[in-house]
Order: sequence, then structure tokens, then C-alpha cells
Amino acid sequence: MDTLFVSITVILAGGIAGLLLYRQFTLMKVVAIATTSAGCGIGLYYTLPKLLQGTAATASYNWLHTFTLAFSLDSVSLFFLVPIFLIPPLTLIYSFHYLENKQKRLRAGVNYLFFSILIASMALVVMSANMITFLLAWELMSLSSFFLVMYDYESYGNRKAGYLYFLFAQGGAMFLFAAFALIHSHSGSFDFNSFSSVPEQAKLFIFILAFLGFGSKAGIFPIHIWLPKAHPAAPSHVSAIMSGVMIKMGIYGIFRIYLLLEPTTALIGQIVLITGMVTGILGVVYALAKQDIKQLLAYSSVENIGIILIGMGIGMVGVSEQNQAMAFFGFAGSFMHIFNHSIFKSLLFMGAGSVLHKAKTKNIEELGGLMKRMPVTGRTFLAGSVAISGLPPFSGFIGEFLIYYGAFQGLTCNKFPYILTILAIISLAVIGGMATACFTKVVGLAFLGEPRTEKAAAASESGFTMGAVMGIMAVSCLVIGVFPEPFIRLAFSGIKDVSMVSSFDTGAFLTIIRQLSKTAAIFIGLFFIVSIFRKMLYAKKEIGSGGTWGCGFTQPTVRMQYTGTSYAYEMVEFFNPFVPIKNVYTGIKKIFPGTTTWESTVDDIAETSYQRYLTTPLLNLVNKLKWIQHGHIQLYIGYIIVAIIVLLLFL
Amino acid sequence: MESILSFCFAVLIAPLLPAVIQKTKAYFAGKQGPPLLINYYTMIKLFKKGSVYSTSTSFVFKQGPVVGFCTSLMMLAYFPMAEIAPLFSFHGDVLILFYLMGLGRFFTILAALDTASPFEGMGAAREAFFSTLAEMTIFGILILFFKLTGSLSFNEFFSGEHVISLMGEYGALLILVVAGLYIVMLTENSRVPVDDPATHLELTMIHEVMILDHSGPDLALIELGAYFKLLFYSGFLARLIDPFHSDNTFVNGMLFYAVVLFIYISIGVVESITARYKMNVVPKFILTPFILVFFVTILTMGVLQ
Repeated sequence: MDTLFVSITVILAGGIAGLLLYRQFTLMKVVAIATTSAGCGIGLYYTLPKLLQGTAATASYNWLHTFTLAFSLDSVSLFFLVPIFLIPPLTLIYSFHYLENKQKRLRAGVNYLFFSILIASMALVVMSANMITFLLAWELMSLSSFFLVMYDYESYGNRKAGYLYFLFAQGGAMFLFAAFALIHSHSGSFDFNSFSSVPEQAKLFIFILAFLGFGSKAGIFPIHIWLPKAHPAAPSHVSAIMSGVMIKMGIYGIFRIYLLLEPTTALIGQIVLITGMVTGILGVVYALAKQDIKQLLAYSSVENIGIILIGMGIGMVGVSEQNQAMAFFGFAGSFMHIFNHSIFKSLLFMGAGSVLHKAKTKNIEELGGLMKRMPVTGRTFLAGSVAISGLPPFSGFIGEFLIYYGAFQGLTCNKFPYILTILAIISLAVIGGMATACFTKVVGLAFLGEPRTEKAAAASESGFTMGAVMGIMAVSCLVIGVFPEPFIRLAFSGIKDVSMVSSFDTGAFLTIIRQLSKTAAIFIGLFFIVSIFRKMLYAKKEIGSGGTWGCGFTQPTVRMQYTGTSYAYEMVEFFNPFVPIKNVYTGIKKIFPGTTTWESTVDDIAETSYQRYLTTPLLNLVNKLKWIQHGHIQLYIGYIIVAIIVLLLFL
Repeated sequence: MESILSFCFAVLIAPLLPAVIQKTKAYFAGKQGPPLLINYYTMIKLFKKGSVYSTSTSFVFKQGPVVGFCTSLMMLAYFPMAEIAPLFSFHGDVLILFYLMGLGRFFTILAALDTASPFEGMGAAREAFFSTLAEMTIFGILILFFKLTGSLSFNEFFSGEHVISLMGEYGALLILVVAGLYIVMLTENSRVPVDDPATHLELTMIHEVMILDHSGPDLALIELGAYFKLLFYSGFLARLIDPFHSDNTFVNGMLFYAVVLFIYISIGVVESITARYKMNVVPKFILTPFILVFFVTILTMGVLQ
């Protein structure tokens, strides 16, 4: 346990040192990155063996003589610590070439400080063992990430996005306070272990409150709307860590509160499963509908949170149905997906950052042909895209396979759980298909074809550290996909301390995993054989080159390429009215047609509904109460006196 | 040994069978049609040629055909043709195989988008959309088969205690599945009424428009992949409806391929007597089998308990 505190101290020291050294730009970056990474390394060095051996630890400290700060580590916390310590060093190394504007060196220093606070607070969140510690760490995490999002605060849009994130972070925290207060009113204790003593009727209500609180962090539909705003606003190494690791803290919270409450009602699992399906499907459809790469990736995070929740929901339904296999593989699948997603989503965000850095735009409709101009970014982005679409032989498939496997075990259920399980499998299939469509769109339109604008045509490859980090991550996506066994063991050890499934025997399943690995290997082998065969066929032959055949026209103009909007149109339209498409067409009115415009936008239904049913009525109401605030000091003093009198008399 | 022979036979015969469809269509049109070995001639011709690559394309364009070919070949390696155990098989192979098909599709779509063509993206978008819808049916079928056999492997579906067959225990339920799978086969292999490989207008094509720019050996690989895929689906269907069983492996194989041949002829008949649907009707057509299969899955809840 002490090693972890050492690691957190080193991480924080890295951030502070970065800020202090901000005048020396390069030195600052080197020191901050090296120290923080070293801290993460220490953490990882402690976490991994402990996770595999499965030893728990606790520690507690007295803080200000009023509260006890209690920490404990079980397999679940240890598992979540792995991405927390694994991903940030990589994104930090990436930031070395990403933050290269010397004018903004103070800002970069502040950025490194908050970055280290974010890592430390995330580690503290998963280590906490009582409400006080947890909420402290949670707030620290929300605030530090808020400052990270506000990096480019000069732009109005970014500030707006930052405030929206702040609103959701604090709104979510309020739900958590409510849930914890409810627990405290029943148990009279701050300790996490007291949660299970809460009466059964209250548990469902507490869980729903906490689910909303944690869900707003994780990004479940419809309280996800900060994600597609904050991610495009934040610098890419920050979006990488927020999407790859921080939103998983929401998932951790949901899982932790579920474990602590030990609820017996089947409703909880069903709520989680249904939310997961809705989140997953709508997330991917919105992702498909968006043309801004980072916004698209943010929605794809929503989708992946959906997949993770489907796995978790399968697990919870399995627990309430007393189906050990279903429960085990559901939980294991969601854990595996958490781990994998943290890698490929960070990779994709960094790829998007690299594109934004060099092509100066993140709009897919303005990109194209980057594969030739940015070979490393292009290839790694391609690998990440295959992985996130859940296709073998890359890592995304492994998590989905486990979830499928768990869901199929659940087909022995009856009635409602049976229907739910069927729907879960079908939704996973739909999500998979739509994710393929979504990421072929990004890769196909942004990286392949011809550049649509001069900005895209002028792009060149990003700095060395950026390419190196993305390369490492792309390779690890492939390695996990081909040799999944050690990583699956990691996920299995993660759920070792989950009492509901701890007695499950995984021996039979590991042979399946080996077969899976063999299949991936056969496929790759076959791929190489066929590639060599193809090379031989082309040996000593005439290879011509010319323009793309366009039915009589050859390459008339690059603007005639298929666009992202039209690529997605049919699929998105299929999900109308949940994903409404708004078209504005000025039309041709004169005999000799003048300029005309056609615009197609997809607005998030959650956002428009909030606007229509929540914020607009609220603003109207508040507007009517404006007379209370009139600027007369004497009357304000009168308010205070009235308030005090009322308080004294009635309370 | 049997497995290897069976696999090789399937690979070798795959290009022959589509010619049967052409023959059937020719018969309906009152023409003589191409020779039965036409596809072999085409393959040899294509393999001999060189290629012309568009200046817009990158390495992805060249990988597309290879990945597509490999994934289709994988299906044949894991599928038990003619009651003979496949080369490889394990509990859970259906999941990875259908996802491998997804990988093939992923790269075919990318190769199409790589050409910067105004048309190929159109086909790509449709391919991505329609196959997602078809995937729903496929997973519906997998759910049902798991319910019937407790297995997630092609080989175990058709061997062991509860063999899935129209003549078997739950044959009545499977009638709807057979209809559903037939529609999925038409969809996934770009046949009429979803897609018309013989149409003259690129705007109305799905699969053919995606491969407009491929030529020579690349095109041959794509075509071969398409033959394997069609053989896989019709083999799958044939295993369901095959009413014959003989203890002699050879006779059994002959009977099985006779059923496969029957399916190919039926595709030819369907193509001859129906026209391609309007594009906006196609999603409804593809969703029909999903409803059928979902209905059957709900039915099993009562039947099997």
C-alpha cells in the first residue's frame, strides 16, 4: 500500500516540478513527463503482481482530526489501477511533440500539473474505502479534468464546453452526495462496508441515484452530452486520457456501489443492461452521424460505455438468475473491454490529435488522402479502428467475445431475463456492424482517397514521440488480439474478489481462448501466404497507374468524392426519430438558378430535449423572478433580516 | 484426411457452382449461356493479367482483396461440408468467424473508399448498412441454434445429440429459419432482389460498384472470395435442409452437393423471375428474416422448457 502512496507522490512531484520549471520549455516537458511516468511505473510495478496474486490491503489515516481517510485495495481496485498507471505515461510522452507552442509554456506547465493531479486523484478514487475519501478524490478528479479541458480557454466554444462539463460533473456529484447521504441516514457510518446493512427497499433507490451520478461521468445516454462537447475542446492527449481512463471511473463507481450494496433485486441488473443497450446503439448511430473526428470519437466512447454496461448488466442478471457462468463472463467481458478500450480509444484520440495538429482541421469533409501524407498516423489509426470495431484479430474482439459468451450462457434463463439476453446479443451485433460503418467512414474518408482541401493536402507526419506512442499502442492492440490469454487472466483476476462469482472455474474456458488465439494466428498466417502468392502473381508484370475510373469521367474534381454525410445518411435515417436529421435546402427559385445551399445536421436528441423541456422553461421562470434582484442595497439587507428571522423562528 | 479432402474439394468446386446460376438464368431467358467452366477460364485469364492502379489509392486498396479472400477461405476451413468434420473447430468458432467476415467487409469498404470515386462510396455505404441488418438475423439464428444444441460451433450444430436439421426434432421451427437464412444468403452475396450483379448502372449496384477499380489478380481474389462465401452460405443452408443420410461418406458427400446444387439453381430461378427491389425497400426485405427468426426464438421459450 505504501508503495502506491510513494507512486502518487512522485506523480504529483512531476506535475509540480513541471510548473516550477515552466520558463525552460523543453526541460519542463522532459522533467514533468519523466517524473510523472516514473511515478506511474512505480504504481504499475506494485499493482500488477498484487493483482495476479490477489492480495488485498487496507490503510487508514486521520485527517484534520475530524475524518478518517480510509483506503483499501481489492482485486477490482487493483484492476482499475492498471489502465490508470498504464495509459497516462504514453499520452504524456505523446504530449512532448503535441504541445510545441513555446508561447504557451506557462499553460503547458499548468497542464502538466493538473494532468498529474488527475492521475493521482483517479488512483485515489479506486483506492478509497469510505465516503469522505471517495468524494474528496472524486471532486479532485472532476476539477482537475475541468481545468485540463479549459486549455484553450480563449475560444468561446471551448469555454462553453468546459462549463457544460463542469455542470455535469457537479450535477453528477450531487446525485452521489444524495446517494451517500441516504446510506448514511440508514447506517450511520461513513465506511463502505456499512453499505450492505441498508434496508433492502432503500437499496434500489440508492443504486439509481448513484447510477445517475456515476453515469454522468461515464457518459450513459441521455446524460452523456458533455462528452461530445468537452472532447473536441480538450487537447488530444487530455481527451485520450479522459475518454480512455477517466470515464471508466464512472463504471468503477457503478460496479463498486453494486458490490457494496449486495442488492438482491433483479431490477438493478435489468436497468443496467437496458441502459447499456440504449447507450451502445444510440452512441454508435450518433457517432456515425457526426463529421468532426473528435466528436465522433466521443460518441464512440458513449457506445463503448454501452458495451461495457451490457457486459456488466449480463453479469448482474446472471447473479440474480444464479447463473454463475453468465455472471462470470459478463463481468469478465466488461473488464476486458474496459482494459482494451483504454488502449485503442487513447490511440484513436491521439491519431485525431495528430491529424488536427498537421491538417489544422478535424472535419472529415475537409480531410482525405492522409494515409500517404501521414503514414504512421494513418496506419496506427487504421489498427485502432479495426480494434474498436471489435474485429478479430485485434483486441476489441476479445472483450466482445467474452460478453457474447456470457450472454449465450444466459439463454437458459426464462421469461424477462431471456428476452433481455436475446436483445443484448442482437444489440451487440448491431453495435458491431454500425461501428464498422462508423470507422470505415473515418478511415475511408479522412485517411484514404484524395485530399478535399488544400489544408489536408499540405499535411505532413507528426513528431517522433507521437508516432512512437501510437505505434506501441497499435501493436499492443494486435498482440492482445492474437495472444489474449495473459490479458484475459488479468481480467479474471480483476473479478476474483467479486464474491458472487469467485467460485467459478475457468479451466474449460481457457482452452477456448487458446483456440481463439490459434484461429487468429491461422488467419494471419493465411494472410501472409496469400500476400506472398499475390506478390508472385504480380512479379514481372506490367503495373499501370492512372486516374480512378468514374464512368467515363476520370477524376473530374476531388469534391465529387463520396462525403461522410452521404455515407452515413441512409443508416442514420433508419434510426429516425431517435436520431433526427435536419435538412435545410434553400431551393432553386428563379428560372436561371443562382447559388443554392443544402445543409444537413444531426442534433443530439438528448440535448434538444434538455433545451426544450428543461432549460428554456427554467429560464422563463427565472426571468419572471428577476424583479427580486433590483439593485437596492437596503432592500437586500431587508431580505437578509427576513431570512434570519424565518430561520430563527421556524427551525 | 477426410477433412482436408473435403476442404480442397469445396475450394475447387466453388467457382463451378455460380456458373450453374448463370446457366439457369440463361435457360429462363431462352439463351444457351456460358460454358459451365466459365469461372475457371475467367480466373486463369485474370491471374495472367497485370493491374492498373488508380493514383488515388494507397496500400489499403491492395490489402482489401487479400483480406476478403482470406476471411472467406476461413469460413470454408471451419464449416463442416457434407457431414465431414471441418479442418478446425472449437466451441465459439461461429462468433469469431462471423466477425472475421466483418473484417473482410471492413477492408472491402476501405478499398472502395480508397479510390476517391463518386460511385464506390455509395456501394460501400449500402454494403455497411445492409450487412449490419443481415447480421441481426445471423445472430438471431445463432441464439436459436445455441438454444437447440447448447453449442457455438458449426461442427457441433450438425453433429452430436441434437442435430439441427429440418428432418430433426424441431424441424417445424426451422422452416422459418431456412427462409430467413435464404434471404440472408441473398443479401450477403449481393444477389437479386437485394443487389443485381448484372445491372448496367453503377448507381444501383452494391457489391459490383465497390470493386470497379480492381483488376487482374486482385479482381480474381475478390471473385474467388465471393464464390467461397456463397458456397459457405449455401452449404450452411444445405446442412439444414439435407434430407438424405448415408453411412458411406462418399455417397453422403454426393448427396450433400446435390442439395447445394439445388440451392444454386433456386438462386438462378429467383434471379430470373424477380427484379431487384427499389433501394428503400431493401432494408425492409432484409429485416423480414430477423422478425421470423426472432419469432422462432420466442417460440422456443415455450417449446423447450
